Amino acid sequence: MTAEAPQREATTAEATAGSASPDLLPTATGRRAARVVGRYARDSRGVAVTAAVVSVASAAAGLIAPAVLGRLVDAVTDGGAVGGYLLALAGAAVLAAVLVGLSAVAISRLGEALLARLREAVVARVLHLHTATLDRVRPGDLLSRVGDDVARVSESVTTGLPEVIGAVLAVLLTLLGLGVLDGRLALAGLLALPAYGLALRWYLPRSGPVYARERRAVGDRADALLGAVQGADTIRAHARSAPHAAEVARRSAAARDVGVGVFRLYTDFGWRMNRSEYLGLAAVLAVGFLLARSGAATVGEVTTAALLFHRLFAPLGTLLFSFDEVQAAGAALVRLVGVVDLPDAAVVPQRPAAGSRPAVELRGIGHRYGDGPAVLADVDLRLAPGERVALVGASGAGKTTLAAVLAGAVDPSVGEVLVDGVPARALPGRGLRDQVALVSQEVHVFAGTLADDLRLARPGATDDEVRAALELVGARWVAALPDGTATRVGEGGTALTPAGAQQLALARLVLADPPVAVLDEATAEAGSTGARDLEEAAFAATAGRTTLVVAHRLTQAVRADRVVVLDAGRVVEEGTHADLVAAGGRYAALWAAWRGR
Amino acid sequence: MPPSARAVLRRALRRHPRRLAASVLLLSLHQTCEALVPVAIGLTIDRAVATGEVPALVVALLGTGLLFVVLSQAYRFGARAVVAAWWEETHLLRVELTERVLDPRGLTDPPPTGELLSTATSDADRVGRVIEAASLVVAGTTALVVAAVSLLVVHVPLGLAVLVGAPVLVGALQLLAPLLTRRTAAQQEDVARTAGMATDLVQGVRALRGIGAEDAATERYRRTSRTALASTLHAARAVGVYRGVTTLGSGLFLTGVAGFAGALAFDGQIGIGDLVTVVGLAQFLAEPIGLLGFAGQKYAEAKASAARIAEVLARPVLTPGGAGRAPAGGGRLELRDVEAGSLSGLTLTAAPGELLGVVAPDPRDAEALVAVLAGRLPAGEVRGAVLVDGADVRDLDPTAARRAVLVEPHAVVLFEGTVRTAVDPDGTAPDDRFLAAVRAAAADDVLTGHPDGERRAVADRGRTLSGGQRQRIALARALLADPPVLVLHDPTTAVDAVTEEAIAAGLAGMRHGRTTVLVTSSPALLGRCGRVLLVDGGRVAAAGTHAELSAADAYRTAVLR
Repeated sequence: MTAEAPQREATTAEATAGSASPDLLPTATGRRAARVVGRYARDSRGVAVTAAVVSVASAAAGLIAPAVLGRLVDAVTDGGAVGGYLLALAGAAVLAAVLVGLSAVAISRLGEALLARLREAVVARVLHLHTATLDRVRPGDLLSRVGDDVARVSESVTTGLPEVIGAVLAVLLTLLGLGVLDGRLALAGLLALPAYGLALRWYLPRSGPVYARERRAVGDRADALLGAVQGADTIRAHARSAPHAAEVARRSAAARDVGVGVFRLYTDFGWRMNRSEYLGLAAVLAVGFLLARSGAATVGEVTTAALLFHRLFAPLGTLLFSFDEVQAAGAALVRLVGVVDLPDAAVVPQRPAAGSRPAVELRGIGHRYGDGPAVLADVDLRLAPGERVALVGASGAGKTTLAAVLAGAVDPSVGEVLVDGVPARALPGRGLRDQVALVSQEVHVFAGTLADDLRLARPGATDDEVRAALELVGARWVAALPDGTATRVGEGGTALTPAGAQQLALARLVLADPPVAVLDEATAEAGSTGARDLEEAAFAATAGRTTLVVAHRLTQAVRADRVVVLDAGRVVEEGTHADLVAAGGRYAALWAAWRGR
Repeated sequence: MPPSARAVLRRALRRHPRRLAASVLLLSLHQTCEALVPVAIGLTIDRAVATGEVPALVVALLGTGLLFVVLSQAYRFGARAVVAAWWEETHLLRVELTERVLDPRGLTDPPPTGELLSTATSDADRVGRVIEAASLVVAGTTALVVAAVSLLVVHVPLGLAVLVGAPVLVGALQLLAPLLTRRTAAQQEDVARTAGMATDLVQGVRALRGIGAEDAATERYRRTSRTALASTLHAARAVGVYRGVTTLGSGLFLTGVAGFAGALAFDGQIGIGDLVTVVGLAQFLAEPIGLLGFAGQKYAEAKASAARIAEVLARPVLTPGGAGRAPAGGGRLELRDVEAGSLSGLTLTAAPGELLGVVAPDPRDAEALVAVLAGRLPAGEVRGAVLVDGADVRDLDPTAARRAVLVEPHAVVLFEGTVRTAVDPDGTAPDDRFLAAVRAAAADDVLTGHPDGERRAVADRGRTLSGGQRQRIALARALLADPPVLVLHDPTTAVDAVTEEAIAAGLAGMRHGRTTVLVTSSPALLGRCGRVLLVDGGRVAAAGTHAELSAADAYRTAVLR
């Protein structure tokens, strides 16, 4: 019973036999990511150009005020009129306001459109991944690509991008402004650059690892907390409250210590920044002093330079402190582009005619996962049109793999599947998957309304069709829901019982209306009483279809046209329930045990 | 005495006195220095650049340098003190909440998981920030006073104009905030929905592929993503307007101040340096005013979060329990006239060492029985008595009661770790006992079918195992715990008939001589029981062996489908 066990996990999203660490999805290079983003940007060229022009203009407009203030100082010193300068100041304020507002909107329009395209492409690719790939990659990696990575890039685009672009332009144009004012003052200001560089060189190598450690510590803490909260009943039942609480406390304390450490590093970087600011400011003032004394610059020009330089503190701080964020967003971006670059497996489905009931044949099927042991060997099995076959066997006998092969979710190592005599490879569209629907024990209730969940199976289904499908699978509990089929279910909605969730899966099958149905332990998760209802539901949902049922409950076998007993990957008995019981073999023994003697 | 929201906040401020004092002092100093930077620039221009005197320049630069040193070090240590206190407070709250949730006496009406998690993370974090808010209020006020004094020293009417004008300007800009908040809230909600849908669809990707619904799902995600994009752009327009108006407001304010100060300087009432100082201070004032607004907002958030935390901490316990220790005995379990939920006068006894089956055709009866035995019902809702070796469980210490009677919940929860730690959480069982429990639960394939064996990783809630594997590992855990009384509820619903039979044999062997109650309708398990009770209408309706009871129709329909 234990030798071929791994094939269970193969379809339950975990490691395959023989490979201890599952693969990760690919990651793109930075250059490739830049090319993809560039291509997206070219597609919205107009917006991109507008964003660039408006952003530069708005940064430039910000320089007018300090320049005018300098002139004002000179005017006051020389006893000139100030009225014109005030008008200029007011005009600059209006201009800057309009441009700042426009650039914020333009950058968002560009960035957000790119982001939306990117996330849609990523989700589309992931949803179209071949089941074999899904089995191979780590589920956490899959989820973090569509979850954390998208969130991180999106956070950067929405809040970080406008700020960083604004800061870059402000710094560049301010330096340019200083240069236009007086090249020597600009050079003095540039003296601060090496100091900034030193600060950054001190900070960056330290920050990456620390932030990674913080994320890990916070993740560990969240895991412990989640486990404790979700498992509170179990923890109490086992009288293990104290050790679990202590574990949460330990991880929380660890996260606290790392968090405080990260901030300590941040403040150490902070005073190095302040030091650079002072060096630059002092240099501008000292050089300005010399220039003013020698008459090469006016006091007003020095004032302007000092004010301009003071204005640099904020954007430089923004830039330097967002360095980590930009790096993290970049890391997330290459992971997203890595997914987008996966070969596009989307194929236009070729749905068979409604009501078709093909014969399905498994011919010489053998299978192993990777270089693991054989989980199936020499399986020949024919399902006549509309026939219902029950598959019986112990855990690890290969039932799930056989079901997956028939459903086109696993390509067998040897042998082939034929539909009405046509090999699966030669079928149009998505091949076997257009003919066969698979309902497994991994039930999932999609977040949204109950009707939305069902319409995934048939997008155009009418309310009546939805109701009829639910009725067919005996989901009488729908009537008791607050809003009927409009009730929100799944994550964040009304929780369904495991049996209810499985009924939903069967109702989806009804709406999808495939010629061939494969049910893999579709009654497994329910309690004893729920199992009986589910059995009825499964029976009703597959009535008339060519059906393979992986049977946990032998009552399912009793109702099948034929029973196939699988042991260690081979078919060992085959026949009707009555025949097999009469034959007194393995199945008969099982049946006796099942009846409880 | 359960704390109120106010008390939670007060305690947060009181239990870190030294750090709070340090941060208030140092951050005030930092803000003061920030306010003095424009003053220093003004003084340098006035005394040195305008005069050309070298000693004045040296003094000015040294002074400014000193100012920067104080400014940066005050922030460095002040901010550290705030953050250390904030993290510490968050940590303390989190531990307190966890202990409350895991209280052996139980929690009445626990909030849903998601809510509890966000209370223990975000809410605890926000309450911690009240320390930051308090420090910033003091620091911001100090900066305002310093700026005010500096301005008034330069020129009283000008100072008054700036001091009135700056808050009015900031206040006016705040009027726009609700528009911004509303749109960003809607935008964040739409973006969160998009993110949630992506995760949800990917989690259900196998179900989608099973029915060939990946195209429909992709299209649904695309539509949601477009809605989020539209509302993000809607919000971006509000942000654009807000930024524009802010720029305009501060620009015009600066124009006004420069005009006023320029006129004064023109008339010779103030010097050039004063002019620069005033303009600099006028620009700086936005910072402390912003700080005060920020602190106020953080305080409001902290208060709302503190209310949620207080609410959880104030929930009553389910069963107060007593202080009694479990009496030594053979594990005799007795229920006397128990009324709870659908149970009405349930009386039963499991003799020491007995393997007792309980069949309840009405799932509510089974649920209620298991809940009573597990102590999951409020003390007030259970009438009658549950006795373990003659002692009423109500008089026992809750932990002792759970140790005496282990009820393994039907909804399996495994904890993160390895297969070994999932089965043997204490890590004290010898290898042979561990293996015996795993074999009895027919779960050996979970180890042997994996290269890491017993060190095979188990993810949180056992997500990496199949439903059947989870159920068998949980059963092995219960068997290894080896309690005097073990209660199992439908322990084999996710396993096939062959395995179920193996489990029935293993279970009976491992629990030999120990009291075990099986609440199930599985004939394979019931066939092993010495005695089976049929519970109907909330009380025992029939008793006998599985074979004897099978003669009765009501029993047959219940267990033989």
